[in-house]
Amino acid sequence: MKPEDKRLTSEQVGSIVKMLSLTRDREFNCGECLQHVSEFAECQLANKPVGEIIASVEQHLALCPECREEYEALMKILKAGQ
Amino acid sequence: MQVVTENEINWPAALRASDSADQAAAVSELRGLLHAGLRVALNGRSDVSEAHLEDFAQESLLRVLDRLDQFQGRSKFTTWAQAIALNVAFTELRRKRWQDVSLDALMADGERITEPTMIADDAFGADEDRTHLVKVLRSAIENDLTPKQRAAIMGELREMPFDQIVELLGTSRSAAYKMLHDARRALKQRLLEAGITGADIQNAF
Repeated sequence: MKPEDKRLTSEQVGSIVKMLSLTRDREFNCGECLQHVSEFAECQLANKPVGEIIASVEQHLALCPECREEYEALMKILKAGQ
Repeated sequence: MQVVTENEINWPAALRASDSADQAAAVSELRGLLHAGLRVALNGRSDVSEAHLEDFAQESLLRVLDRLDQFQGRSKFTTWAQAIALNVAFTELRRKRWQDVSLDALMADGERITEPTMIADDAFGADEDRTHLVKVLRSAIENDLTPKQRAAIMGELREMPFDQIVELLGTSRSAAYKMLHDARRALKQRLLEAGITGADIQNAF
């Protein structure tokens, strides 16, 4: 394998840097996000402002692609039910 | 198709009803809602069959019933339950995709991130500030992280599911998340000590 083949892509390096820019001393973990994501999704759907606690959901979703994938699927369900 | 109903009934009470017929009816209705929601969410995926939908709905139902005490009423019950169902389904789908990856492979991948060639100096172009950022970042990854932290970060960069990283590292979800969080905080601190501010980081894009 050529050395350049082993390099992280600029997107992957960018992902690390982006993760660092979003890092806070206190964050929700995935379990806490799951506990609050339904409230966050309903606020988003109704264009309602989010409170301080569920704002942490938004920060976690920006960092966690899996929770974001599940949130987007939840929004798909909620929109289908409207 | 109506997937999420208005919260007209008290789901937790209905699901705990002492009358077994009433309880069975509520359980059956919830299972139908979860199944319909999963069908919408997973529509078009080639790796999801009707049998999968049935399995996910059943497993989700059990998970929701097991966590009834955790529902705090801050959203509709059905939205809360659908979120749990999606977590069950996606966790299983991700596990199947990554089940053949070993801890040795993840650890080796994590060690490779310290190799000079892994992050090119010009990863963000030839700009001097960006090159400085990349050098500090590379040094911090090599010197400030443990092998498991490097492995976990590489797993994330490879888009490995978090649950799979947790399983490979042989730890709990909360311990693994703390490991990653501590790693990110250590890297960020090192950048700050090198005079690279949050604004600098955002401007790197």
